[in-house]
Amino acid sequence: MSLLHRIEHPRDALAWEGDMPTLGRYTAGIAGEKFFRAIQEHGQFLGTVCPICEIVYVPPRLYCEQCFEHLDEWIEISPIGWVHTFTLVHLDLDGNPLPEPLPLAFIQLDGADGGLVHFLDEIDPEQIFVGMPVEAVFKDPAERKGSILDIAYFRPV
Amino acid sequence: MIREVAIVGVGWSGFRPITPDLSYKELMYEAAVQAYEEAGIDPRRDVDSFVTVAEDYNEGTSIFDEYVPDQLGALHRPVQTISGEGIHGLAAAVMQILTGQFDVVVVEGHSKASNILTLPYILAFAFDPVFNRPLAVHPYYVAGMEMLRYQVESGTSHYECACVAAKNRNNALLNPLAGYGAAISAADVMASEPVAEPLTRLECAGHSDGCITLVLAAGETARALTDTPVWVRGIGWANDTPWLESRPWGEARYAQAAAEMVYRTAGIKSPRAEIDFAEIDDTFAYKELQHLEALNLCPPGAAGEWTAAGGTEIGGEFPVNPSGGALGQGHLLDATGLARVLEVVLQLRGQAGQRQIETAEVGLAFGWRGVPTTGGAAVILSN
Ligand SMILES: [Zn+2]
Repeated sequence: MSLLHRIEHPRDALAWEGDMPTLGRYTAGIAGEKFFRAIQEHGQFLGTVCPICEIVYVPPRLYCEQCFEHLDEWIEISPIGWVHTFTLVHLDLDGNPLPEPLPLAFIQLDGADGGLVHFLDEIDPEQIFVGMPVEAVFKDPAERKGSILDIAYFRPV
Repeated sequence: MIREVAIVGVGWSGFRPITPDLSYKELMYEAAVQAYEEAGIDPRRDVDSFVTVAEDYNEGTSIFDEYVPDQLGALHRPVQTISGEGIHGLAAAVMQILTGQFDVVVVEGHSKASNILTLPYILAFAFDPVFNRPLAVHPYYVAGMEMLRYQVESGTSHYECACVAAKNRNNALLNPLAGYGAAISAADVMASEPVAEPLTRLECAGHSDGCITLVLAAGETARALTDTPVWVRGIGWANDTPWLESRPWGEARYAQAAAEMVYRTAGIKSPRAEIDFAEIDDTFAYKELQHLEALNLCPPGAAGEWTAAGGTEIGGEFPVNPSGGALGQGHLLDATGLARVLEVVLQLRGQAGQRQIETAEVGLAFGWRGVPTTGGAAVILSN
């Protein structure tokens, strides 16, 4: 036996709308705190080093995801890197077209094995290429809040 | 594997872009009844355990797993819900049978995507809340960046990626279950609106509502229930790093790791020679190519050329996504991998109608959890 009755007209199909209440706090953690404070207070990137795997983690972590060692060696990382890959986003979160395509990139930072996902600016989107050298532009110190958005964007060097 | 396991019944509801008439419970009930009738079992008597896959945020209900027993006939029985890809659920069911404690286990996955009015926001909410979410960009940016890096590293052209979308949408025309069939060309795909360059709209799977239910049974029980058991030969799953900041971008390492496990458990040494066809995640067109290479079904960088030359069409040397895939059927959220499995089962039984592959004896299904994840699961089935 399966469904014997069907609703045959859209007007008869009832539905109720509702939303999900989700307000929370996301703790930056020991490593995240150090990383964001260095950006906020000094306009500086910090990373952690796994001496066993010779991996430099940016953003920093307290453990190596390859060998699972605890990491406690901290180093300063250059705000300069290069575009590992990028995209031009054309839609907002509602699926509507953006007035201008929005360039985002994964920036591989010099001296690190990782990097950051962030906006690109001060460049014609048509001129962006994989391998392009870029540098971080930080917000004015007074506007920084200890957030990833304390980096305003990356721009060509 | 230490015990034989077979799929002895399949059921589905949908797949359609909208289902305003049916609640998710009715979608599940419809698919379950079909699967139980096909397997010739009564769920109230014959099923030892039930496994479903679902995400609370997709359902709009917290502790969603509590809402699955009644429409499956699972009251007073072992039930678990996994927040994972559909094939992760299949893996859990297979393992339950391998313990020897369960002989008949049911797996279920569904999508009521049309009821999610803010789907991109739900996906964006899956990003790391500290490092990524504040950017507040449409989540498909990750796919655009992956696609470009994959192209750079593999030498794959945009045209070759677009060929996947054209092939799968055309395959879907042969599949009555598929809601997104279209007679389109790669040129049409490339000319559609950009979403996150180089990715275009027709390279992204739309969404469908639907449900898939599978009945699994241990060897002797399976033979008693059906003359056409579809045997589970191997299963594998793996994750890569969740950090956008550490992932390789060009390669699907989660798929490489899942492939190693599925081939090891199935005893397969030369996948391309020992497998006849595959249903592989194609949530985005380039993903089918990246996954084909990661699954070692062609050499690195060769999937695009192979696809553009027609090698993966239904009549080609190695058909990929004869069902139409997610591009042709619509993405079914957590159930997408089970749709891949369903097609492999129908092909191995010779029930795939106009899209039937002639020499379908061993098939592979691979599911990916979508952006921003690096989680994948694979299964190998044979008749
Ligand atoms: Zn290490």
